[in-house]
Amino acid sequence: MKKALLITVLASVLVMALGFGLVNAQEPVTLVYWSMWNETEGQARVLQEAIASFESTNPNITIDAVWNGRQNQTLVRTAISGGNQVIDLMDQDADQIAGGLMREGFALPLNDYLAQPAEDHEEPLMDVFLPNTLEMFSHDGQIYQLPYIYNTVQFWYDKRVFEEVGLAVPQTWDDLLAACDTLNAAGYAPIAAEGNEPGYAAFYLTELLARLKGPGWLQQAAADPTGEMWRDPAVLDAAQRTRMLWDNGCIPPETLGYVWPQGQNTLAFGTAAMELVGSWLPVELQNATDPEFQWGGYSFPMIEGGVGVTSDVYALLLAFMINKDTAHPDEAFAFLRHLMTDAIQQQFTDASLVGVTNKYIQWNSIIADAFAAASAATSTYGDVDGVASLYSEYLNTILYPNYVSLWQAGITPEEFVETLVTQSAQYWTDHPQS
Amino acid sequence: MKISNRFIILLLLPASVMYLVFFLIPTFQALLYSLYDWSGFGAAPQFIGLANFNELLNDRVFWRSMGNTVGILIVGGIVIFGLAFVMTMMLSSGIRGKKFFRGVIFLPNIIAVIALTTLWGYMYTPRTGLFAAVFDAVGLTDLARFPWLGPDTIFMAMMIAIVWIEVGFYVVLLLAGVDKIPPDFYESAKLDGATDFQQFRFITVPLLSDVISIGMVLWSIHALKVFEFPFSFTGLEPNPGSYTVAVYLYILGFGQRQPIYRLGYATAVGVMLLLVVILVVLILRRVTRRETYQY
Repeated sequence: MKKALLITVLASVLVMALGFGLVNAQEPVTLVYWSMWNETEGQARVLQEAIASFESTNPNITIDAVWNGRQNQTLVRTAISGGNQVIDLMDQDADQIAGGLMREGFALPLNDYLAQPAEDHEEPLMDVFLPNTLEMFSHDGQIYQLPYIYNTVQFWYDKRVFEEVGLAVPQTWDDLLAACDTLNAAGYAPIAAEGNEPGYAAFYLTELLARLKGPGWLQQAAADPTGEMWRDPAVLDAAQRTRMLWDNGCIPPETLGYVWPQGQNTLAFGTAAMELVGSWLPVELQNATDPEFQWGGYSFPMIEGGVGVTSDVYALLLAFMINKDTAHPDEAFAFLRHLMTDAIQQQFTDASLVGVTNKYIQWNSIIADAFAAASAATSTYGDVDGVASLYSEYLNTILYPNYVSLWQAGITPEEFVETLVTQSAQYWTDHPQS
Repeated sequence: MKISNRFIILLLLPASVMYLVFFLIPTFQALLYSLYDWSGFGAAPQFIGLANFNELLNDRVFWRSMGNTVGILIVGGIVIFGLAFVMTMMLSSGIRGKKFFRGVIFLPNIIAVIALTTLWGYMYTPRTGLFAAVFDAVGLTDLARFPWLGPDTIFMAMMIAIVWIEVGFYVVLLLAGVDKIPPDFYESAKLDGATDFQQFRFITVPLLSDVISIGMVLWSIHALKVFEFPFSFTGLEPNPGSYTVAVYLYILGFGQRQPIYRLGYATAVGVMLLLVVILVVLILRRVTRRETYQY
């Protein structure tokens, strides 16, 4: 009798638990995701498939995606400040989120979620990421962004050209200058560049100072309220090396007239040999290069006397952020966990030819050298060594105009240093840091 | 039948309400926001009085942007109206295919600006662009490699493209005015021995004064707030050296690729732009004021 009663009670509890479970499982949840992609882009198509597979395994969750394109964060801010729009998830360049919604306190901390197991691995999700990716934009020990696409800034080149002229990948600055001579002698424009693109020109300043002074120094110099850090001899050295690229014929003079994407097109057309740019370049040029084009990438060379090394990686990540005011944080993170599965991450790199942040995924072969750099990274730094996210106005009104002026030979390296010192001091007087 | 004032007011009401809600109130709100330190989001706006305007006085990028904008206004205006007059005279001289040529000249006005910037960017490309091909074909290889979009010539290159796009609109405007001038005036002038230039100087220009005045005001407003072409002409991120005021306002307020987000300061830039527009329009109205001719 006792046994029958026990069975009855247990069965009732089980039925009730199942009943609650079913009710909970069927409670419909709609997540609103605003995307940085346009609907027809390769990355968007992978996301659409990821959404479909997530919805099929979580039938009570619907993801309502809005494909905004690159102005996404601006649109998200406008929508949220309007007060009527609930946005649970958004994605954008991690640097931009760090300087925007994250800095403004609208990002949900993800540490607890990241400590939970991955969807397809037993280890915690945070251990699935490539080194120094999750931590790049952490603040006070909290991680607010989930990076899912990984771009490295490197010299991208056609291996066939290097083989044809007998060039090895430059390991040092002197190697790079020697490579320029060899390529010039063979009739190639050694380095393709855009003449008028502040962000692309600043890759050189960032890399030169990262190699000379180590990652993080440029960011400190930008934040120096006296501006005196710009007097460090390394800055003049970096400025002189910038001009050296032009004056030694590494960058042909007509480059001044190239507006993006005209410079990079010279690489695709085979007139130029390499370009310092993000690992998105092979994707952007895939319809312009001939089918035999063999992409290679190498990190910015070491500079004698500098403290930076080639395993310091200039990383430009794309990341998701969950709105801290979302009513469905668990479901939102469940979707992000799904995005980090090997299958979805493999799809990103196979279909969109981009790098991804899951350490188990081999990137597409055309960006294999970017994967090698990302896997071996001993440190990573963001856009303009973090200046883009932390001091964006300073970057746009002081650093970019002066560096572009140096880039275009409007000022000398010495004038570049002096101008930075005086304008930085004035800027920080007008904009005291809190 | 006399229409009552009430009926007129009733008819005007919907448009007036829309004007009030979508223009006047936001304009006054903008004036207010220019006195605040505000990102446009998140933390509450902080009242800072005229500090934004004070900062503008020392803002090199703002003044450079203003210089570029005024350059477009003045240089562009002179060239556009000069060309528009020449084309108007040619088209109204009895030329065959007037409608065809008018349509061709106006065509750039109906093409998306992004397409036009791409087209002009291609034309200016060293080595592989259209101009380079032409120069190469005639043996001018140095010119074929000349960086037209380099720092010394990018403004001129942009002006040429803007003039090419805009001139059609003003040709159509002036042509409409010229078509209304009675042909008798010109016939009489010819009988009196007036040259073509004298006919232009003493008949066309005076009788077109209203049209010219409106055209100049329209160009001034358009030039002072020009945004799309300079924004998209210089690549992924506009070089700060080629900002116009409207581009700088956008970068400051809405970020583009950089998360600056200083909407209060950007609004102060907008207020300055509004003041400049009002000033220029007032000057133009005063300069172009003259007696109207009835014909």
